[in-house]
Amino acid sequence: MSDINKKSLKHLADLAHLELTEKEEEKFLKELESILGHFAELESLDTSNVAPMTGGTSAKNVLRGDADHQSSLAAAPVADAFPDKEKGYLKTPAVFE
Amino acid sequence: MHLHDLTIKKFHEGLKNKEFSAFDVAKTFFDYIETRDQEVGAYLSVHKDQALKQAELADIKVAKNEPLEWLTGVPMAIKDNILIQGLPATAGSKILENYKAAYDATVITRLKSAGAVFLGKTNLDEFAMGSSTENSAFKKTRNPHDLERVPGGSSGGSAAAVAGHMAVAALGSDTGGSIRQPAGFCGVVGLKPTYGAVSRHGLIAMASSLDQIGPFTKTVEDAALVFQSIAGRDQFDATNVEKTYGEELWNPKLEDIKKLKIGIPEEYFGPGLEPEVVKVMEEVMASLKSLGIEFKEISLPHTKYALSCYYIIMPAEVSSNLARIDGIRYAPVSGVERDGLKLEELYRKNRSHGYGPETKRRIILGTYVLSSGYYDAYYAKAQKVRRLIAEDFEKAFKEVDVIFTPVSPTVPFKFGEKVSDPLAMYLSDIFTIPVNMAGLPAISIPAKIKSGPPSGRVSLPVGFQLIGKHWREQDILGIGQFYEKLSA
Repeated sequence: MSDINKKSLKHLADLAHLELTEKEEEKFLKELESILGHFAELESLDTSNVAPMTGGTSAKNVLRGDADHQSSLAAAPVADAFPDKEKGYLKTPAVFE
Repeated sequence: MHLHDLTIKKFHEGLKNKEFSAFDVAKTFFDYIETRDQEVGAYLSVHKDQALKQAELADIKVAKNEPLEWLTGVPMAIKDNILIQGLPATAGSKILENYKAAYDATVITRLKSAGAVFLGKTNLDEFAMGSSTENSAFKKTRNPHDLERVPGGSSGGSAAAVAGHMAVAALGSDTGGSIRQPAGFCGVVGLKPTYGAVSRHGLIAMASSLDQIGPFTKTVEDAALVFQSIAGRDQFDATNVEKTYGEELWNPKLEDIKKLKIGIPEEYFGPGLEPEVVKVMEEVMASLKSLGIEFKEISLPHTKYALSCYYIIMPAEVSSNLARIDGIRYAPVSGVERDGLKLEELYRKNRSHGYGPETKRRIILGTYVLSSGYYDAYYAKAQKVRRLIAEDFEKAFKEVDVIFTPVSPTVPFKFGEKVSDPLAMYLSDIFTIPVNMAGLPAISIPAKIKSGPPSGRVSLPVGFQLIGKHWREQDILGIGQFYEKLSA
């Protein structure tokens, strides 16, 4: 079921915001082919009447009450981690041209 | 007091009886780390000033005759993907090399309020992805029992710190075996709690439906003490449930333990298991039988699909969790020239420069299995297979209370042995992965080996694994404590 090639690998890397070197491309193609080949064993398993397990347990989410609360997180150290700031705002290169 | 046999229990007694001060013990650890860690490489950073201040607070409690908690003053090591406010948290990656944690993880808040002392942050495979700690962007960690061999991974630094007597206890995280496998390789105890027992708030997420934080210790009793202090409801982790544990964890009764039935899954004892591991497992089973515990053969028929299933679900979650690690939100990446780059280009430069090969491989694999046209064949299929794996355990636990398996199919391997073959590396976690898929608690305990090693080699640790029912940590910890008493 796998059909990964140089073109689709480039597309995937693009989606994931990664640039691969020529060498990485070659290496990953080979490795991914072998890993995806291993996954083929799942095809033989009949799962037509099985519900997907979407979390770590079947237990439900435990949400806190829908009320405002004081965040324990101080803003300053979070902002300090940011590479660039201007006039008290966090700064990145422009999103739109 | 000797570092080599210092457990939490012994430290606590010694501190209470004023045989030593927490400050002096912490200083002794730092002196020892300075020389010993040059060859082992367990720590990425040590934090002497902060640790000695924490130790002083413990000593003041003693001086004022205030009640001490089990962990008051205990020198601990913390895996570098768990946040301690103001300290680095690199997750073993260059992309977080310049990051300083903005807040304390919930487990850290709890350990701080218990009075624990944090010696430093330990090495790991990048973003906890690996089985040998060879994927760390920063350094090699060596197995304290044989420096030519890996400590296991991904929590290799935490395991080596405890095994190398450079901490009394440590924290790690376990997504597919990252606590239990290195514990087994390094000859220490490692506990992966039930999914939902310990808050992951402040753990740098790898695969959120699988991750749990747990302890590394020298004894099973110590593991119970650390686990009890970090477990419990936290509103910042929506998977973390209302469940409190108490002294039943470290005060097991033999009459209760004797009533437990242990299952031996045939799928875990097939070919591929090293003969040395088989022999040790037989020795351990004989010991447990001598306690009067009954064994029963069971089957977990979907075991062979667990590895494929895991290597679809885990990378899918990794690709999503790591999307936000972009070299902007969490400090800049060294070596990336930002000027003149558009936003998209900056993301790409940061991530391509900051991530190592294993991380890139898993991000791409995860992106692939989630992408349109492949989602059903891979991700949705794997989620269904995951349920079959979980149901295998559910059925088995109708007949038995605890399941016994090896931790790893092999003894610790040498550096470089599996780096070039990802699939071979992934197989090191074959016995630990199904546990995470089902969200169960499991412990890795070092076997007391009676038979000698094969000729021409030093004796290497071998761990056995006890898997419990959901929320029944007390069963696996209880059996473990009696096993230790047998061989004491």
